[in-house]
Amino acid sequence: MNSFSALIPLLIIVFASLCIMILEAFLKKENKDYLAYISIIFLVVCGFFLVRAWNKDFSYFNGNLFLDNLSLFFSFIFLITTFLVILISMKYISLQGVNCGEYYSLLLLALSGMLIMVSSGDLLVIFLGLEVLSISSYSLAGLRRKDEKSSEAAIKYFLLGCFASAFLVYGIALLYGATYSTDIASIINHFQSGESLGLMALIGLGMFVIGFGFKIAVVPFHMWTPDVYEGAPTPITAFFSVGPKAVGFAVLLRVLYPYLKNVQDSSKAIFLLLCIISVLTMVVGNLIALRQTNLKRILAYSSIAHAGYLLIAILAQDNASLVFYLTVYIFMNIGAFAAVIALGKKDKEYLELEDYAGIGFKYPWIGATFSVFLLSLAGFPPTGGFLAKFYVFSAAVRQDLVPLVIIGVLASLISVFYYLRIIVYMYMKEPSYEVDINIDNPGLFLVLFLCLYGVLQLGIFPGNVLILIKQAVTALL
Amino acid sequence: MIPLSYFLILSAVLFVLGAVAFFVKRDLITMFMAVEVMLNAANLAFITFAKSASSIDGQIIVFFIVTVAAAEAAVGLAIILLIFRQKKTIKSEDINLMKG
Repeated sequence: MNSFSALIPLLIIVFASLCIMILEAFLKKENKDYLAYISIIFLVVCGFFLVRAWNKDFSYFNGNLFLDNLSLFFSFIFLITTFLVILISMKYISLQGVNCGEYYSLLLLALSGMLIMVSSGDLLVIFLGLEVLSISSYSLAGLRRKDEKSSEAAIKYFLLGCFASAFLVYGIALLYGATYSTDIASIINHFQSGESLGLMALIGLGMFVIGFGFKIAVVPFHMWTPDVYEGAPTPITAFFSVGPKAVGFAVLLRVLYPYLKNVQDSSKAIFLLLCIISVLTMVVGNLIALRQTNLKRILAYSSIAHAGYLLIAILAQDNASLVFYLTVYIFMNIGAFAAVIALGKKDKEYLELEDYAGIGFKYPWIGATFSVFLLSLAGFPPTGGFLAKFYVFSAAVRQDLVPLVIIGVLASLISVFYYLRIIVYMYMKEPSYEVDINIDNPGLFLVLFLCLYGVLQLGIFPGNVLILIKQAVTALL
Repeated sequence: MIPLSYFLILSAVLFVLGAVAFFVKRDLITMFMAVEVMLNAANLAFITFAKSASSIDGQIIVFFIVTVAAAEAAVGLAIILLIFRQKKTIKSEDINLMKG
């Protein structure tokens, strides 16, 4: 249905972002926390409009922007992501001396980019959304301007991000040349009908996948990930590890699912490419994570490895399990980063493995929740991480992708080692020096609690969410 | 008239040159310029395809890409300036605080 309602959530977010940028100039330094509350209010209002649009299939701009159930579901989990990131940032910003105003406004702009990407079926619009997301992300990575690592993260992210977008644009150009359209549905139609599309379209699609491969950080396009994750402000790292990755998979789902399903003969090459990337990602990501000692780098490599499992879900063409995995992944990863942020005080963050010795007994709440998130990332029952992996792997077995599943299970066995090592440090090592942290941080503890709830709810009673996801993925059929 | 395929070949050559320069060059500004060359190679391809289809879509897409490239340049140059202020150099091998 053509309706202005399709545009409203996006307008609210962009308006919020501009509002905060203006308000920042008028607020006194001690009142800057209000900016966080204002952005949360806007997020809630936007969430209300998203919920109201469920099952309505609104579209606008001649169908170039639409809110089907899939984009609504993804938009909603992006809102939750941003909400959680804002909560973990509030104290962090004042402790680490980051400027507030542009922080929240860039975060909301990045969110608007993600909303654009999931609610369009046109490659050009998706590219524009991606650039809104990326350009805000480059600046977010460099926001700790006095910290040389932060600037280094920004420049690395910027250069490789631009390089990836160039690949993406050239891929879109080739697809346009082969089909004279940038609309996903009509491109797929061309692939289905004409056998003579040939090499150019295939190369175009390959370059498109490679461009997104940079964004979702799969091996061999992952070089920037650990450095950017380490250098960026930690709440932003939490955002990068879930936001751009989830949105990248949402777009890949929209493009690759109909392609792999409907185009039998020419899709072999792309299928093989994705298989190789998936295996490399799982194995290399987990192996390199073994010898890291910085918590942010361990979580960076773990997020690379998770991209590999998610690719299996795309290859198995099981959309529900992919969306479920992403939902769980958001809660467990943001929770883990929240626990890392909890260990900090004025102008100091504790990020080395050594710092975590004895934390489990000294700060039992942080230790216990962090352990649950790590167990969930490793895939232990009864957490959401276990169910997510279980659904993905069983879908892959149904599609006769047994070798992939075997490699995936072995890789997640490797990953158990480095997740458990953190827990061992927290509970079984004697601290050799004093780690004192600022525990006056209600927002962060709220996030720890919410993520814990999310991980356990999705692990033990996933029923309701699964019903919503089933309704969401019918949009693709 | 010049055949359209010549433009496509030029665009492919430009793209490859840009990609090679991105990895070979050791200067942040030059690396950034290499990416711009790649983007413009894509623009050339879009215009060529638009001409061969006699459709206006491809030409409009080029405007969007040019705008995006300008926004990228604004942010990118600011970041490079920040790096230069901190380190007094913009050689990529000197930006090596994090490894592994």
